[in-house]
Amino acid sequence: MKSRAVLLPISYSVRNLRTRPARTLMTAGVIALVVAACSLLLALISSLKRTLVTTGEPMNLVVLRKGSGNDGSSMLPMAAFRAIRFWNGIARDGLDRPLISPELVVQPFFRTLDGGRDNVLVRGVEPMALAVHPDVRVVEGRMFTPSSGEAVVGRGVVGRYVGAAFGSELQFGHRRWKVVGIFEAGGSSFESEVWVDVRELANDAKRTWPYSGFRLRAATSTDLGRLQRRIESDPRFALEATAETDYYAKQAESANSLYVLVIGIAVLAGIGAGFGAANTMYAAVQARRAEIGTLRALGFSRVAILTAFQIEALALSAVGFAMGALLAVVGASLVRWALGNITFNAATFTTNMVTLRLSLADLRSAFVIALLIGVAGGFGPAWRAARLRPVEALRHG
Amino acid sequence: MTYPRLVLANLGRNKLRTALTGGAIMLAVMLVCLLLTMPNGLDAIMNRVSSNTRISVHNKAGIVYPIPYSFARKVRQVDGVEAAVATMWFGGAFEEEGKVTFPNFTVEPEHIGAVYPDYNVPAAQLADFQRYRDGAIVGRQTMKRYGWKIGDRITLRSTVFPLSLDLRIVGEMPNEGSPLLWLSREYLDQALKARGFRGLGVVTSIWVKVRDPNRVNQVMRAIDDLSRNSSAETGSETERSFFASFFGSLQGFVKIILIVTGLVTLCIIFIAANTASMAVRERATEIAVLRSMGFSRHAIFTTLFAEALVLSTLAGVLGVALAWALTGALRAFSGWSAALGPLGSFMVTTPVVIQGVSLSLLIGLLAGSVPAYGAARRPVVEVLHEVF
Repeated sequence: MKSRAVLLPISYSVRNLRTRPARTLMTAGVIALVVAACSLLLALISSLKRTLVTTGEPMNLVVLRKGSGNDGSSMLPMAAFRAIRFWNGIARDGLDRPLISPELVVQPFFRTLDGGRDNVLVRGVEPMALAVHPDVRVVEGRMFTPSSGEAVVGRGVVGRYVGAAFGSELQFGHRRWKVVGIFEAGGSSFESEVWVDVRELANDAKRTWPYSGFRLRAATSTDLGRLQRRIESDPRFALEATAETDYYAKQAESANSLYVLVIGIAVLAGIGAGFGAANTMYAAVQARRAEIGTLRALGFSRVAILTAFQIEALALSAVGFAMGALLAVVGASLVRWALGNITFNAATFTTNMVTLRLSLADLRSAFVIALLIGVAGGFGPAWRAARLRPVEALRHG
Repeated sequence: MTYPRLVLANLGRNKLRTALTGGAIMLAVMLVCLLLTMPNGLDAIMNRVSSNTRISVHNKAGIVYPIPYSFARKVRQVDGVEAAVATMWFGGAFEEEGKVTFPNFTVEPEHIGAVYPDYNVPAAQLADFQRYRDGAIVGRQTMKRYGWKIGDRITLRSTVFPLSLDLRIVGEMPNEGSPLLWLSREYLDQALKARGFRGLGVVTSIWVKVRDPNRVNQVMRAIDDLSRNSSAETGSETERSFFASFFGSLQGFVKIILIVTGLVTLCIIFIAANTASMAVRERATEIAVLRSMGFSRHAIFTTLFAEALVLSTLAGVLGVALAWALTGALRAFSGWSAALGPLGSFMVTTPVVIQGVSLSLLIGLLAGSVPAYGAARRPVVEVLHEVF
C-alpha cells in the first residue's frame, strides 16, 4: 500500500478534452449559452438594484403622509412643513438655513422620441434641494431659477423624450419648460427625474396641497432617530418619516418578483446544462473503458481516476464559462446599443431608466454556476469511471 | 422487429443518456414555456380587465392632472355615450394595515353600475350604494383578505386628502381577483367641506361606456373636442390602451427575456444534437451491418431520425405539462408571498402549449437530421474496415 495516492497529471484530463474536439466544443457551447443567459439575467438584476437601491443619503429623512408609501401618492398639509422646518436637530447650511427640502411629485405624460408615452417623475423643489441631495450634481448648464419656467433634467431622461436636451423646450403639464441644466446622481433613480420649481409645478398641476412631502438632513444620527420619532408621534399631522436609504430600498421591493423569476430561470437552465455535461462525460467514460482499465491495472487508484474525470469536467465547464462570458459581454453591449436604457416601472408608476451593465460580480456568480454545472455533471461519470473493475473494463473495452 | 419497435429499443439502450437528454429538453421546453407566458400573461391581464367599449377620459397632461367635475356632465350629453362616471383616487389605508393595500376610488354611485355592467354587481347592492351616502362596494379579493362581509363597517384613512372616512360595505364585486373598493364621491366632498376644506371641484378620470363598439373613436374625438382650448384639455383612450401604457415600460424586459429564451433554445438544440451524434457514433458498426444486410439508407435515416424526434417530443410534452403545473401552483400560492404575487397571473394557454410542442419538434428535427443523415451516408465498407 502506498501512503499517498498518485494522481494523474492534469494534462491528462485536459488533453482528453482535445481528442474529441467536436464533442468538447458542443458541450462547452451548451455551458457557454447557459453562462451567457445567466450572466445577462444577473446583470439585469444588479443593474436594477444599482439604480433603485443605491439612491438616498443615510442621514436624510423622507417625510410623507402616513400610509402613502411613496411620494407620488402623498399630500402634505402646509402647516406640517411650516411647523417642522424649525425643529432642532435638522442640519444647517453655511447661511444657517435648515437643510429641509419641500417637494412635490407629479407624474405627467412625456412623449418619447419613438412616439410613445411614459409617466415621468417630475419633482418640484426649491434650490435648497441640491444641498439636501448631495449626490445630485448639475453637470451641464446650471440649476433652474425659481419662477422662470426652467427645468433641469436627469441624465437618464436626456435623449429619451421629445425636447429633453440641454437648451431645448420640454412640453409637459400645461406648458413648456426651458431645459437649463442636466444633472447626474451616480446612476441612481434621481437620474430618471425632471426637477422644476415647486411652486410653478403646483400651479401647473392645480394642486390644492402644494407639497407631497419633504426631505430633511439630520445633524447627527441621534438627531435622525429623535426627529423620526417626534415627527411620527406628533398628533397634529399623520406623518411617516423614513430614512431615505430605507425608503428607496423599499421602493426596490417592487422588483422582488422579478428576482424570484430570474433565479428560477437560472436554476432551470443550469440543471439542463448539467444534464448535457453529464451526457458528454458519460460518453467519454464509455469510450475510454479500456484506457481506464489499463490505468487501474498500472496501479492508479480509484481516487486518481475520479479526480482525473472530475477535473476534465471542470476544465470543460471552464472553457464553457470563458466562451459564455465573452458572449455575455458582447450581448450586454448589443442590448445597450440596440435597446438603449431598459425602462422599469417603479411603485410610483413612473419610468425608471436602467442601464444594463455586466459587472465583475455578475461574471463571478456566473462562474460559480459554470463550476456547479461541472461538478454536478462530472461527478456521476467520474464515479462510474472510478468504480469500473479493471479486468472487466479491459475485456469489454 | 418492426421499425417503431427498433426505434424504441434504441432509445432504451442507454437509459441514462436518454433520461439525461430527455431531462435537459424537458427543462428547457418548460423554461421557454414559462418565459412565453409572460408576454401572453400581460396580454391576458389586459384582456381580462379591459372592455373595448369603455374609454378613459383624463387630462392630456397626465393621469394625475385634474379635470373639472362639471366636465362629466358635458360628456354624458355627447352623442353615443351610454354612461359616464367621474372617479378619483382616494388612496385610503385600512386602519389596521397603516398603508394603502388595495386600490380605492371615489365614484358616482348613480352612474358606476352602467359604466361597469361587466363587473356584475347585483342591482340591489347598487341601489343600496346610492341610498347610503357612506356605502362602499368592495372586490371579492379584498373582502376575503380581511374577512369582511356585506354590512360591515370599516374606516379608511386617506393618504391624499387630510381625513378618514367611515364606510359601510353595501355590495361586492363578484370577481375573485378584484381588489377594488368604490366609495361615494359626494360623501368625500361633504366630509371635506365639513372640515373646512374646499370641496371636490375636480376629478382625475371620467370613465365612459360607449353604446356602439364601432363608434368608439368617434366618441373619443367628440369628447376631446369639447375640452379643446379649455384650461384642462382631455386625452381620451380606450381602457385597453390605458392599461397597456402601465405595462408599456416593461417592453425592455420582455425583449431581454426573449433573448434569453433564444439562448436557451439554442442550448437544448446543442444538447440534443450532441446526444444524437453520440448514439450514431457508437452504433457505427451496427449501422454498417444493417446496411450490408440490405437495409436502405432511407430506412437507416428514418429510424435514427425518428429516435431523436420521439425523444424530444416526449420530453417536450412533459416540459409543457410541468410548466402548466408550475404556473398552476404559483397561482395557488401567490397569496402567500408578495414576491410571488404578479407571477400568479401567468398562465400556460393553448398558444403556449402549441409553441412549446412545436419547439420540441423543431429540436428533434434539427438535432436528429444531421447525425442521421451523416450515418446513413457513410460508406459501409469504410466503417466495417475500421471495426474489423
